[in-house]
Amino acid sequence: MSASTNESTAVTKPLVEISHLVKHFDLGGGQRVHAVDDVSLSIYPNEVVGLVGESGSGKSTLGKTVVGLHDKTAGRVMFNDTELPARYRGEDFRAMASKMQMIFQDPYSSLNPRMTVGEIISEGLRLRKALKPAAVQQKVADWLRMVGLSPDHQSRYPHEFSGGQRQRIGIARALILEPEFVVCDEPISALDVSVQAQVVNLLGDLTKELGLTLLFIAHDLSMVRYISDRMAVMYLGSLVEVGASNQVFFNPKHPYTETLIASNPEADPEHERQRPSTTIQGEIPSPINVPAGCRFANRCPKAMDHCASHTPLLKPLAGAGEQRLVACHLYD
Amino acid sequence: MSSTDLTPADFAKLPRQHDADQLTRPSLSYWADAWRRLRGNPRAMASLGLILFLLAFVTVGPAVWTVDPSAQDVDQIGIGPGADRHVTLTAPLTPWEPQTMAPPKASTDNPLGFTLAEPATTQAVRLTWVDHDSPHRLYRNLFAPADTGSYGLPLADLDTPYFEDRLDLQPETYYYTLVALDAAGEETDTGVTLTIDVTRVISFAEARERGLIGPDEKAEIGQTLELAWHPLGTDYLGRDMLARLMYGGQVSLFIGLLAPLAFVLLGVVYGSVAGFLGGAVDQAMMRFADFVVALPFLLFMILFKVVFGIGPGESGILPMLAAMIILLWPAPARLVRGQILQIREEGYVSASKLLGATTPYVVGRHMLPNTLGVILVTITFQVPSAIFTEAFLSFIGMGVAPPTPSWGAMCNEGIKSMLTRPHELLFPAIMISATVLAFNLLGDGLRDALDARMRGAE
Amino acid sequence: MPRSTTQNSASTEPAESISAQPSATREPLLQVDNLHVDFQTYGGVVQAVRGVSFDVAAGQTLAIVGESGCGKSVTVQSLMGLIPMPPGRIHKGTATLRGHDILASKFIEGRDVRGREISMIFQDPMTSLNPTMTIGRQIAETLEVHRGYGQSQAFSRAVELLEMSKIPEAAKRAKQYPFEFSGGMLQRAMIAMAIACEPAILVADEPTTALDVTIQAQILDLLADLQQETGMAIILITHDLGVVARMADDVMVMYAGEVVERGSVDDIFYRSGHPYTQGLRLAMPTNKHNEDGLPEQTLIAIDGSPPDLFNPPKGCAYHPRCPHAMNVCAQQSPEQYALKPTASSTQGHGHQAACWLHHELCTPQGGRS
Repeated sequence: MSASTNESTAVTKPLVEISHLVKHFDLGGGQRVHAVDDVSLSIYPNEVVGLVGESGSGKSTLGKTVVGLHDKTAGRVMFNDTELPARYRGEDFRAMASKMQMIFQDPYSSLNPRMTVGEIISEGLRLRKALKPAAVQQKVADWLRMVGLSPDHQSRYPHEFSGGQRQRIGIARALILEPEFVVCDEPISALDVSVQAQVVNLLGDLTKELGLTLLFIAHDLSMVRYISDRMAVMYLGSLVEVGASNQVFFNPKHPYTETLIASNPEADPEHERQRPSTTIQGEIPSPINVPAGCRFANRCPKAMDHCASHTPLLKPLAGAGEQRLVACHLYD
Repeated sequence: MSSTDLTPADFAKLPRQHDADQLTRPSLSYWADAWRRLRGNPRAMASLGLILFLLAFVTVGPAVWTVDPSAQDVDQIGIGPGADRHVTLTAPLTPWEPQTMAPPKASTDNPLGFTLAEPATTQAVRLTWVDHDSPHRLYRNLFAPADTGSYGLPLADLDTPYFEDRLDLQPETYYYTLVALDAAGEETDTGVTLTIDVTRVISFAEARERGLIGPDEKAEIGQTLELAWHPLGTDYLGRDMLARLMYGGQVSLFIGLLAPLAFVLLGVVYGSVAGFLGGAVDQAMMRFADFVVALPFLLFMILFKVVFGIGPGESGILPMLAAMIILLWPAPARLVRGQILQIREEGYVSASKLLGATTPYVVGRHMLPNTLGVILVTITFQVPSAIFTEAFLSFIGMGVAPPTPSWGAMCNEGIKSMLTRPHELLFPAIMISATVLAFNLLGDGLRDALDARMRGAE
Repeated sequence: MPRSTTQNSASTEPAESISAQPSATREPLLQVDNLHVDFQTYGGVVQAVRGVSFDVAAGQTLAIVGESGCGKSVTVQSLMGLIPMPPGRIHKGTATLRGHDILASKFIEGRDVRGREISMIFQDPMTSLNPTMTIGRQIAETLEVHRGYGQSQAFSRAVELLEMSKIPEAAKRAKQYPFEFSGGMLQRAMIAMAIACEPAILVADEPTTALDVTIQAQILDLLADLQQETGMAIILITHDLGVVARMADDVMVMYAGEVVERGSVDDIFYRSGHPYTQGLRLAMPTNKHNEDGLPEQTLIAIDGSPPDLFNPPKGCAYHPRCPHAMNVCAQQSPEQYALKPTASSTQGHGHQAACWLHHELCTPQGGRS
């Protein structure tokens, strides 16, 4: 991925602007799951933004809400300066289909087992009824080649393919409408290690070739650092740190990010032997009864009295530029 | 595997084949693959064969075996399959004058001198005995009397020493028992039993009338003719069993196939709508379905029969169909709703929405095809259930109205003569059992063939 | 073994991994020799395990690494007797625990091996625990069955074990049901259950794959601490090389049912002799900096997919995907070649790789890159 720093992007406009997005799920009886709580993030054209977090962080929900699969409880998402509807109807999906797409996590359930590969990939085109069948077939063949499969595979069924190959089919399906922005919801989590690299490299190549903008959601920190230009860390529904990937990874500022990186095992025995043991204590709180103040306060090794009562805001870190954001009282 | 046989040439670089992504097995669609699996299941294939045979039996059968199921062959009432169908031409019955005959003689085994006066035919059995100036009682039985209690049907108490039996004579073996009565009219210990085989006879005029002798044909007294062949026998009214089974099968299978198709389809539509819409609408719809389940089936069947009424000439099929459709749709509805709820969460449904699909497209192209397997298996299991229900209802008299045959009705009729003429019960019962078993086994096989694919098991 | 700091004296000198006992007492506890397991299925015979041999010594951690379908789970499950024997079949091979054959009989001296001498924890704790019994009861049950404890004695020991697994408020937790526990807690409860009978060997089948990375770190630390306290051996099955680097003393790499490389953890990571192992490492993003101080940014994928076990490729199973494949690789299966032995290896086999590249006839032009 590009190793460029991001000062230049501060001048351009964001492609996708997420402002104070909130998504709660109503459980009935007054209880709500605070999946996404007041998240703001700008995504600039042609960049790959990685979103990491553990289970319960709300990262998948955020991705689905941005593309409209979940209704927004509050806040807004702007695409190219146009506000997206809070609640999508059929025509909204149709209007956005060629602009925003998604790649799904589970290769085994994200392809209809009753449709041939050709039908799956061409679905977006056929729904628009803009091209003749011959042209559609040609496009499908082109895209199969582009994702590293053979055009002969058009008439085959998903169950005949491995997980990695299915994920490629899912990528072709998402990209055939040539969207500008693609949300990748844990696209490699269900794949074998050697296959993950194939899919990640494919995504990287396609992003460069087609000038895509990606929101790459995953829990594998090393992969996210590798593929993303910028990285955002999410904890229990809010962003705790945002910045250039290499900076966030090698120089984390938020205590949660520090712990996360420190817990990430490195494939290097010497490195592991020398690494001090820093494990986080306690459990992640429930997203139904979200604690007041900083949500990480009960497990934070550097917590101060102030933290449990006052929620820290995501603010630029002093002296690190507008794009380096942390939500922590240590830096107030 | 000896590494000493190796040469440096073996260690030259292997040319790269990009066959790592080749797929060698032939591509099969879902249905083709399911069919392949089904073919490999011998029980299921045997059941399928049986079902096809049964369908042919009831549809093509009547064209081949053109006997009218309501025609009564009075000469062959209640005969079993393979029974003797010869009939002898005879002169019309002349009145009997037993007084002109020589009186019988008594003997030590036959103290009453109880004998057959002339050969026994289906026209008449004429019996005579020695005149003792005391009354006698005559019994007739189809079974040999085991003791003094089981003489059978009492025909008459007689003062005169002769009797002509013309009561419903069949070409069977009858056991006539004559018991002497004392002065008080009580039975004495003296009794004789005769075993008499009755020959079937027919008069010339009757034979001509029934078409056994052509109009110009000559025939003589004593000539044997052949009656119509009934391969499976006849029922208690002389109607051909085979023809009745075919026509009865039409009724049973019609209801058995049509009703499930109809109520499963109704359930599918209802369940998909409920599952797709979700929320309060789904809850309301499912509560109504629960209500329908709670309605008592048999009572409603009777109610329908009463309300719709069955006039003369009507078969009673429609009220039964209506009742089954109205009462049995909730089970498939629940099943399909569950499937839809599950499929709704799958990735490909979300992907389709994102690509701009409309709701009908998503339901019709993505959700329903993936529930087709479940629907098909449900229908296959509901067919035997419906057939059995129809049979049961007809059996208790709540189903089709006579003379419309149905297998269940035939069983009902057959049970009356179960002991003497078991074939009347046996054949329709076998048909019902075979059909039910075949559909159940086919359903099992289909479920195995389709299920593994649905789970995506590789 | 827990990772403590060591000095890396020179880059060519292999760093010693710390072990609690000197090498003389590292007798193999478990010896598996030439294990073959296959399955009879409707589609044919699946050869899941094809000639696997390994040793495990007390106090050591052996990591078995491979991707899905490589046979790592089937290997240990067959040792534990968890494979249903039709359709499964161990058609060759031996496995001895302290000299007793555990494949022939599940009993050693009348006592059940499974659960007592060797116990196992699984990937998904949610489905491995009985949802209708309290955690305390389930742990107590192990003690009652294997150790003959009475009910109350077993229960109080269960609470102690939960404390050893660092579950807070253990007494209260012991009376709760699995659904009241989070994923990480359940895994700790499983560990408590597994160590209840003080087994000689703990088999952990992808114990942290389903867990978050921070919880994974806690669980791995717990396992390391328990190993130090009790001296038990651990067989750790995983596909994550990071976990291997962190936990393992010895590593065995499996592919398509065979062992392609084995050795100490340093051998495998720094001196790998098999293209598959190398390929796995290159397919993971490293987080190291190169000489310019910039983070390394290479990710090289392995082409293709793991092979169809109904019909494994002729010769070396990896050759269709191997960048160094030679003619012989497509014809014959390579033997295990011993690579330069290192002092740190506790494996009786030393550092071995099953690859034709180590054959004497293989020249640099011939196929090595």
